[in-house]
Amino acid sequence: MATTTVSVRPNTYAGTAWSWITTVDHKRIAVLYFVTSLAFFALGGVEALLIRLQLSRPELDLVHPDRFAELFTMHGTTMVFLALMPLSAAFFNLLVPLMIGARDVAFPRLNALSYWVYLFGGIFLNISFIAGGAPAMGWFGYAPLTATEFADTHAVDFWAFGLQILGVSSILASINFIVTIINMRAPGMTFNRMPMFVWMTLITGFLIIFAFPVITIGLVLLLFDRYLGTSFFLYQGGGDPILWQHLFWVFGHPEVYILILPAMGIVSDVLPTFSRKPLFGYAVVAYSGAAIALVGFGVWTHHMFTVGLGPVADTAFAISTMAVAVPTGVKIFNWIATLWGGSISLRTPMLFAIGFIAMFILGGLTGVSLGSPPVDTQVQDTYYVVAHLHYVLFGGTIFGLFAGIYFWFPKMTGRMLNEGWGKVHFWLMMIGFNLAFGPQHQLGIDGMPRRIHTYGADMGWDVWNLMSTVGAWTIGLSMLIFAINAVRSMRTGRDAGPDPWDGGTLEWSMSSPPPVYNFAEVPVVDDRYPVWKEKHGGGHTGAVVTEPPAADTAHDDDEPHIHMPNPSYWPILVAAGMVLAACGLIFHQVFLLVGALIFGISLIGWLEEPPG
Amino acid sequence: MRALMHGTHLRPSATGAVQRVIRRASLGAALLLAALVLAACGVTPQTILEPTTEAARASHWLFLVVFWAGLAVFVVVEGALLYTIFRYRRRRGDSLPAQTHGNLKLEIGWTIAPTILVVLLAAFTVPVIFANAQEPEDDAIRVEAIGHQWWFEFHYPDLGVVTANELHLPVGKPAAIIIKSEDVLHSFWVPALRGKLDMVPGRTSVFRILPEQTGTFPGQCAEFCGTAHALMRFTVVVEEPDEFDAWAAHQLTDRVPPTTELAQAGEALLTPAGCALCHTIRGVTDIGTIGPDLTHVGSRAHIAANTMGMSRTDLEHWLSDPTGMKPGNLMILPRPLTDDEIEALTEYLMGLK
Repeated sequence: MATTTVSVRPNTYAGTAWSWITTVDHKRIAVLYFVTSLAFFALGGVEALLIRLQLSRPELDLVHPDRFAELFTMHGTTMVFLALMPLSAAFFNLLVPLMIGARDVAFPRLNALSYWVYLFGGIFLNISFIAGGAPAMGWFGYAPLTATEFADTHAVDFWAFGLQILGVSSILASINFIVTIINMRAPGMTFNRMPMFVWMTLITGFLIIFAFPVITIGLVLLLFDRYLGTSFFLYQGGGDPILWQHLFWVFGHPEVYILILPAMGIVSDVLPTFSRKPLFGYAVVAYSGAAIALVGFGVWTHHMFTVGLGPVADTAFAISTMAVAVPTGVKIFNWIATLWGGSISLRTPMLFAIGFIAMFILGGLTGVSLGSPPVDTQVQDTYYVVAHLHYVLFGGTIFGLFAGIYFWFPKMTGRMLNEGWGKVHFWLMMIGFNLAFGPQHQLGIDGMPRRIHTYGADMGWDVWNLMSTVGAWTIGLSMLIFAINAVRSMRTGRDAGPDPWDGGTLEWSMSSPPPVYNFAEVPVVDDRYPVWKEKHGGGHTGAVVTEPPAADTAHDDDEPHIHMPNPSYWPILVAAGMVLAACGLIFHQVFLLVGALIFGISLIGWLEEPPG
Repeated sequence: MRALMHGTHLRPSATGAVQRVIRRASLGAALLLAALVLAACGVTPQTILEPTTEAARASHWLFLVVFWAGLAVFVVVEGALLYTIFRYRRRRGDSLPAQTHGNLKLEIGWTIAPTILVVLLAAFTVPVIFANAQEPEDDAIRVEAIGHQWWFEFHYPDLGVVTANELHLPVGKPAAIIIKSEDVLHSFWVPALRGKLDMVPGRTSVFRILPEQTGTFPGQCAEFCGTAHALMRFTVVVEEPDEFDAWAAHQLTDRVPPTTELAQAGEALLTPAGCALCHTIRGVTDIGTIGPDLTHVGSRAHIAANTMGMSRTDLEHWLSDPTGMKPGNLMILPRPLTDDEIEALTEYLMGLK
């Protein structure tokens, strides 16, 4: 590694469309996840821009209220399930094997299945727009607006089946990454030496496999109500609409941490690199992530303080909610301490990582105010909550994910993203974000409820709304700049080389993009930052081996002979069968039959597939 | 980027243009500032910052506590972040920084600090939770507030009064608001009086309001309830007890009989035009229970769940196209009304004081 700077870019991504369809390589699947989730991110963004256009002035009539409800429902659903979670999954795919010294994930075909189920599920959900109307009851689908009486098209069915399908994808991926992280770490890569991103991936995986079954059950009950005439959520038949709220938020609150923890992991690896110092308080940062996840299962009724559950329940959940502030605060202090005493370079990934901390602090603080029930009952369901959740999920998650994109784009593609345009993107996004969501705090305080498609000129909300719309479109412009930058840089960007940022973790020890087999020899790890230690640790050798083994270099093809899993077309077929079957429950039973057949046959084919 | 950077090396000939740009920019900034000040001082009738009851004041006080404490934390932590970045920015010739991994004392310290803040906040919060949960007194005025898609029904079971979208309460007397829903979730929210409480079908919740000031306070449905959610507003009119008693007594009477020929023609239309199917106008028809009671609709300040005024023009618009004025509206005319019919009905309804 130290001997040569000539980088021969491995042809990791070469090949036909068929090779992409049948791929089981985690790096290719990462690319698929990146492209798909960013496309859905753009779709959710366009929905947001239309929402903001309609609200830019009082009493506008640009979007019909029913379309408006579809837009805010699909904006939330798309951003949570089709953009942010899969974008995190893209990073899991790209990084976990590289960071722990593995050649792939534990179950490569399962990994491909997760992706295809996600892609088809996302398309399925969005077909509703052209098949009789998209869901229009808000992304948390409160009963009884989801009941047949109030939603007699298939919109809610698209939503419920779509979320079930996406849940399958998330749970499979989580099991895969948990097994990978627990079983496939390189020798010496103890839990105590794992990169923080891997830690957060592990915790997120457990969050998903405990939280998603709850919404799965909720959705099954909802579909029973709609298809079989039960009344789990209908009071007329002895059910209770509040039951849905409990089920949804027992899932929904951990979901927030599912969305934020991977970004926290990214930031925890970006900050040390650009301060040239190790992460401060490694163990505390890891454990506080676990603490946030655990407490996150015990705070759900803070979404329901206005239901009237009584002062005892409100008190208990207010206290558990406020308790989340402690591990969150600890993380922030540790990040600042990581910077303290460092040699801080404000490259684009670092700007986004700092942006994450700066904006997330504000989202956290408004979260504490919402944790106090007497305050919450005034601002719940107003734009104050909209502002809060965007400061957490945009100011937090999206800034963090963009830090990761700028940081690892060179590793994934072998080329650098243009730094100048990256900074333009950052500053535009920072200004646009605060312009869009800052004024929404004031709107909430001024009494503007969320999810209203219009408002009177007499309410005093016009100026803040106009600012918010200008901000939203500024964000849109910044994303356009990013998209152009990414496409251009992929073709003409500066050559990245193996280690453009002077990184510390294992992924920086290999070429960019990494060779198909990742590691020619499985590395032996004796430090949290093995690559950094080799470069700066002084005299230390033997931590990382990336050159192909000598015996293989004489071989005809210059690839070392390392056995990698064979491509397989069964995953895409299993996924297609599953989603076709769901179509059968909405369109025509024939789909159900065909889908089930494809699913069954493909599953057998999968099991019978000979080892490569 | 390169062009931008070169632009900073100004040639003398460019200074005029630059001055113009600066002038325009400062004019823009001044306008923006003026707009902000206006917005800040402008009338925001639904603000949470002007509480008029003890319960709303308690929420407001807690909000201020969290706000100022949060602001202090914000300034300190963001300040520390920015100061650290500035102080330790990379300089030419930086050597490798000390590779510190942590500091147990510091970490314990910054675990304890937020814990103390959170415990304090909880200590402030919990008493308010219980104070605001106070049960209404036995002699409180009972009002059933019932959410409908998309209007509010108010029913005083002890007085026998039924009205819509305009809740009257006497000042200084506790009221027990009994909260229900007829169809989907709604939320009862009048920021000046207290925090919101959701209206849940199949559930009955009760909260206490003790109005301390007379006046008219706007409220709005705060839980998404379908197409016309945005157009579901109401007001609470807090008045002196004798005014309230007079209002209640009048509400109990049958409708004021129409006096003009035009209004009489309007009343004659109630059944043929289909109004009577949904609306009650006591003294004329009482079969309709789906829509708001219109017996004294002319005494209310607004129509259409308080999104339009009680005026001749608004009422005519409303009657000519109820679903256009309020998308999703469940008020569906069996047949379009003629201009003459609209005029007659408007005259009649305005007279139902």
